[in-house]
Amino acid sequence: MSPHEKSWHRLVEAARRAPRAGDEAAPYGFSTRVAALAFEQAPPQASVFGRMALRAAGVACLLALVAVGLNYSAIKGAFEDDSAVAANDDPVAEVVNLGS
Amino acid sequence: MPDDQSFDLAGCLDRVRLRDQTAARELVEHLHPLVIRIVRAHLPRRVSEEDLAQDIFLKMFTRIDQYQGSVPFTHWVSRIAVTTCIDQLRAQKRRPELRWADLSERETDVLDAVITNENDVAPDDALAARELVGKLLDQLKPEDRLVIQYLDLEQKSVAEISQLTGWNQTLVKVRAFRARRKLQRFYRDLIEKEKT
Repeated sequence: MSPHEKSWHRLVEAARRAPRAGDEAAPYGFSTRVAALAFEQAPPQASVFGRMALRAAGVACLLALVAVGLNYSAIKGAFEDDSAVAANDDPVAEVVNLGS
Repeated sequence: MPDDQSFDLAGCLDRVRLRDQTAARELVEHLHPLVIRIVRAHLPRRVSEEDLAQDIFLKMFTRIDQYQGSVPFTHWVSRIAVTTCIDQLRAQKRRPELRWADLSERETDVLDAVITNENDVAPDDALAARELVGKLLDQLKPEDRLVIQYLDLEQKSVAEISQLTGWNQTLVKVRAFRARRKLQRFYRDLIEKEKT
């Protein structure tokens, strides 16, 4: 053990002899204040609501996917009709047609 | 350590979960000695011990529904206390390098006594020795400081520190090794600078 280590151990040994500071019991009114503050914070209903909201969002996503699946052909058909209409309304195509 | 035999902790926790304020008060009074010991051992500068203890208890109540009972409740609370103290220590700026001139007269006497090895530290100087150790520990990172505090000052075992902090035993040993090396360097520098 180096001289520095030895002296460190002597220092720590001396420090351990220092008396423990003060009373360890809660000061007057401390527990009442802390208990009041603890229950003043968000009530448990809020966290229940939070958990339910997350589940509700999951169920909503699932229902949306099922709805898209069930109506897939109708949705696909609607887009195809739109693209046909869009092709007819294409001004470039109209100009080319006029020229020919 | 709180006296678990005369206190119905499980019953009290059940009542606290039902938002019984009397039970909450009883729980705070029961755990206060445990929490205040941790706070006093790791109290950052310029922070009131009562404010820090209050923060710890409020965190405990906020998370009480997460307590599963896999570890004793007192260990679970100790971990909250230790983490809160470390967060507070991190938030404050690290002390600048400690110099001989920063020490009080009593602290320099203590340091002289332990360096020269000629005289034992006087019993009256135990508080000065503790202050001096505190100043040296303040230069370490909060986690390192905590490990040395528990090992050297409170003479706790690695297993006990692991239970109190939630760190595994290997991590505690590694932190202790690194912290000792840094501390030896600070300590050597302080002494060498005085000699020159």
